[in-house]
Amino acid sequence: MKTLKKRQDTTQVTAPEALKGTDKPIDTKRLPVDSQTGQPLPPRAQPGYYPGFSTLSQQTYWDGATRKTVLARVHNVPPIRFFTPDEARLMQAICDRIIPQDDRDEAHKISVLNYIDNRLYNRQIDGYRFEDMPPDHEAHRLGLQAIDAIAQFLYHQPFIDLGPLEQDTVLKSIHDGSPPAAHAIWEKMSVSRFWMLLVQDVVDAYYAHPYAWDEVGFGGPAYPRGYMRLENGKPEPWEVDERRYGWQAPATALSDTYEPIGAEAPGHHVQTPGQEGSH
Amino acid sequence: METPILGPFEEPEDHHHWLGPIQKIDTLMRRFKPGEEVDFVIVGVGSAGGVLLQRLARAGFRVVGFEAGPFWDTERDWVSDEAGSSKLYWNDLRITGGPDPITLGANNSGKGVGGGSVHWAGFTPRFHPSDFRVYTEDGVGTDWPLPYEDLKPYYELLEREIPVSGPAYYPWGDPHGYPYGQHPLGGVGDVLIKGCTKLGIRVVAGGPVAINEGSHGDRPHCIYRGFCIQGCKVGAKQSTLVSHVPDAIRHGAEIRDNCMVARINVNDRGRVTGVTYFDPDGNETEQRAKVVIVSGYAIETPRLLLNSACPGFENGLANSSGTVGKYLMVQIGNVVLGRFPDLVRMYKAPPAHALTEEFYETDPRHDFARGFAIQTVGPLPIAFAKQMMVAKGAWGWGMRRVMMDYNHWSALGVLGEILPWEDNRVELAEETDQFGLRVAKITFRLHDNDKKVTQFGVKKTTEVMYAAGAEEVVQEPRYAHLVGGARMGSDPSASVTDKYGRTHDIPNLFICDGSVLPTQGSANPGLTIQSLAARTADYLIANGAALLSSHPERVLDSAPPIRYNLSPPGTFWHGMPTFKTRSKARKQAARARSR
Amino acid sequence: MALTRPVGTLKKLQKTKIAVLAAGKNNQFSQGELLPRKLTREGVVFEQHIREGRFQRSLSLIAAFSSLLSGLDVLFEHYKGSFSQPIMYTPIILSPLLVIAGIWGVFSRWAARTVLPIVSLITMLDGMIGFIFHFRGIARKPGGWRLPVFNIIMGPPLFAPLLFGISGFLGLVASLLRREDDPAHRLLPGIPRPRSAWLSLLPHSITREGVVLERDVREGRFQRGLALATALSALFSGFESLYSHYKNNFTYKIEWTPILLTPAVMIAGFGAAVNRTIARTLLPLTSAMALVSGTIGFFFHVRGILRRPGGIKKPLYNMMYGPPVFAPLLFAATGFLGVLASLLRRAK
Repeated sequence: MKTLKKRQDTTQVTAPEALKGTDKPIDTKRLPVDSQTGQPLPPRAQPGYYPGFSTLSQQTYWDGATRKTVLARVHNVPPIRFFTPDEARLMQAICDRIIPQDDRDEAHKISVLNYIDNRLYNRQIDGYRFEDMPPDHEAHRLGLQAIDAIAQFLYHQPFIDLGPLEQDTVLKSIHDGSPPAAHAIWEKMSVSRFWMLLVQDVVDAYYAHPYAWDEVGFGGPAYPRGYMRLENGKPEPWEVDERRYGWQAPATALSDTYEPIGAEAPGHHVQTPGQEGSH
Repeated sequence: METPILGPFEEPEDHHHWLGPIQKIDTLMRRFKPGEEVDFVIVGVGSAGGVLLQRLARAGFRVVGFEAGPFWDTERDWVSDEAGSSKLYWNDLRITGGPDPITLGANNSGKGVGGGSVHWAGFTPRFHPSDFRVYTEDGVGTDWPLPYEDLKPYYELLEREIPVSGPAYYPWGDPHGYPYGQHPLGGVGDVLIKGCTKLGIRVVAGGPVAINEGSHGDRPHCIYRGFCIQGCKVGAKQSTLVSHVPDAIRHGAEIRDNCMVARINVNDRGRVTGVTYFDPDGNETEQRAKVVIVSGYAIETPRLLLNSACPGFENGLANSSGTVGKYLMVQIGNVVLGRFPDLVRMYKAPPAHALTEEFYETDPRHDFARGFAIQTVGPLPIAFAKQMMVAKGAWGWGMRRVMMDYNHWSALGVLGEILPWEDNRVELAEETDQFGLRVAKITFRLHDNDKKVTQFGVKKTTEVMYAAGAEEVVQEPRYAHLVGGARMGSDPSASVTDKYGRTHDIPNLFICDGSVLPTQGSANPGLTIQSLAARTADYLIANGAALLSSHPERVLDSAPPIRYNLSPPGTFWHGMPTFKTRSKARKQAARARSR
Repeated sequence: MALTRPVGTLKKLQKTKIAVLAAGKNNQFSQGELLPRKLTREGVVFEQHIREGRFQRSLSLIAAFSSLLSGLDVLFEHYKGSFSQPIMYTPIILSPLLVIAGIWGVFSRWAARTVLPIVSLITMLDGMIGFIFHFRGIARKPGGWRLPVFNIIMGPPLFAPLLFGISGFLGLVASLLRREDDPAHRLLPGIPRPRSAWLSLLPHSITREGVVLERDVREGRFQRGLALATALSALFSGFESLYSHYKNNFTYKIEWTPILLTPAVMIAGFGAAVNRTIARTLLPLTSAMALVSGTIGFFFHVRGILRRPGGIKKPLYNMMYGPPVFAPLLFAATGFLGVLASLLRRAK
């Protein structure tokens, strides 16, 4: 008779206070700039082209189960339990480059790190592992080591001490498929698959949040009230028309360009992780 | 804050098991006694398993369905949220490799009663008659052991039971109409229609999809919320959970949910005697049955057969041909995304609502066999971000920028046919899962023909996108669906089951799910899987006496009648009358006979 | 039909006309003086017919046409609803029956007195049953009546069955009228028709009321009734245009016109039931505007269909899912009814 092993609770590691400082000074070099004036745009509660749009304002129209889940996501951010404090700091810095949130004010920043940590802590996976990749939690740890090794190789400093431009350079080398260091790690792990794992985890956490839905103009949960205006991009009565504004990424960023993953890596053809959202 | 009348919507406070806003399970589920032998055990209550369960229960047999996932209460368990819906998918470990590895998990394999039909987007085209004769006609792939005409009555039957909404005249393959009308278009459908009509490509709007256009009993009309792949809380999109399982329960079937079947047990006379499974508390238990039907889908079915290896069946059950796990197929699923100057808002309306099969059949002018379909898809933000990560190489501020533009983008999916290749296979890895069972390892490679189909399909779809007015078009490589791995065939040395899903090696072991498909066309396999299940059910019922006896190898009726009286209630008096069409092949055969 | 009257009576008519003018009750003839004589002669006779209730054949034809329009509308809508309940076939069956009954009533007195009222009554009953089903259908949508705006827009169109029933109402009224070619001396006003013996079974008060009502209708004195029908018809079709145009987010400003005209026609219609002056002024004015608005709307809707993706290349799909072509025509029909009502006499 076999019984399932019950999960053992490891000791929890709480998030270092420095990660959530409310009176951190704003580094204007990290802010996006207005296209016309060239001035940095101050952080705001809701970036994006849908000012005044709020999916959370419609929560009474959602069914009970959905409302509970989404509100828990907003209010009950899980503590850091998988990453060590140093790893957490490094991972936070990386997440801040993969999805920068400098244009959001402190009260509306989305906790990405905690959700990645939660998934890795619970060993939740997406139902598959590539044969040239270690399990996700190992892959992330190896990735953190590799990123720090690249930072040391290029700039002789740990990643968290680098400026945004240097940090982007480190990460871009992985995106392009030609990291200049940590080759022992890349023997165990495909470069582009690690990159996709990393970005995928960050966007999973960011675009699951209602603030991100407001930013992109996504309608949010829709049960029991569905949609009535299906064509021509018309807004529902509670949705908002688009109001675009021109902005450029800060000069300290390398990520506002579009180049294929692994462009520098010979022979590797990229493939999307997963079938979600399609046929 | 504004609220609906009478306040916010809350979870139901009663003890009923809900399957939608109105539909619920209204009968107490029968429970067989521990140790009691039943007639049929179905492993996996998914698309095929649900239909089989309903048919066998209605015919009066004692049947238990095992499902590794939960028996969903849609009001309480499902959320209208992309990130919160991962529990619908089979997220347990599988290793994937090969030169062009496939991905699994989200939207690929389902877990829970309803299986893949819970998360499918709902496209339900039929296979074409040519799909059943690919080897004879095009010299590639293999032939089915049955012709299209044998499956056609079941297509018609399932299209009524589901019901399928679609155009009154569907021109491709074997032309036919649908019992429910077409759906209104969303932004993506408009793009497909605009692009195709501009280029003179035939296209159908509003179907065929397994989504109600109009109510169906206790299942309301679709509310166009676009969360199909996250599970339809309305019950408008069909899953066997809402269409067949309630009727099965009403007729005395039992479903044991959260029970993972570990092994199929075989006696020394080479007959299955039942299954061994882990109950929800993790205790290993045995259930004896006279017949076992495996409906675990393309990965779990071969995995179970291989994991059930025992003396006499050292290579796994039903594997004398060596083809268990082989000839695995996914379809080419590249998504072509286009940015439009006006807003599209592709998150509204079901992702599946328009398609064209104009390029389905082999075109002799090309240097490849078979073809593809173009379908609408409607990725929600997280999925779209991942698509942009690959299609545009987006990250950082570039990702933020393209995501702020989400409402300007539209996505069309290519659905291309990959042929069955022996080296695309499922095997057992050394690693084990939480139950101590060896996990599946999948190896996959694209062959020349597949790559040519992909290239041409992406090219055509890009043309359609530009014709519809897109100013920027990108694409990302992807796969869709998953069939094969225990294919049917008339030659026992090259297949696992016969044309009814009965394994060649073991007379009371059946396989009935997507793994039996020998080829796949460029049609979504869902309808075909459910139709094959209804057909297998008729065979099982007609031969029930023999199968349940001590000599199950004696089959008396190899051409069983089609049972229309076993459909769920209300099947025939909802919807529109459809006119019977005779396929070209049948007309030719009739003409040949009359000569 | 007007020309079947012998010319000699025309002089008598003109005398009556002058007398009526003098009485100051009707000042609509003054404009007619400006038109060509032939037209005015036709118009005068036609109007006389209406005022005397002598237009069974015309109204029967109008009922048939109205039933054709609403029947086609129902066909499209119930096809879109996929006939998910078998009862959805009933209006599809009844509509051609009413069309046939109406046309038959044009040619046959007997049909106009038997077949037409029976089919019309069944149609009205079907409309009321449909309304109940549509109400229930909205309740059975997710959220039900707790999401009234959303579910009225996306659910079964609430008042459409009642609009369908209006054509039955018209047919019923038509069955009670006199025909255009009835000889003048037949069935003098003031004398009730011979009645069926069955009706003597009903209580006397009902039969007495029924006799009075019937005589009023037959003599053309049912302006109030038809004005009420106009108001209700405006309500039903205007409400549909309200939520349909709201669903379209009032993309084109002209979509507001039926929304603004509907309360005007309703006030005119209900007002005409209580006040004679409104019946002769506001009612024809607003109704004529509704008639024009509906006709213009029809052309806009056709344009909208052609502008849809695929345009003329997907004719059936775009007709079904584009702007509904019959809806503005039904709004125009409401206007027509109102104009007709304004020409009638009132009950004593």
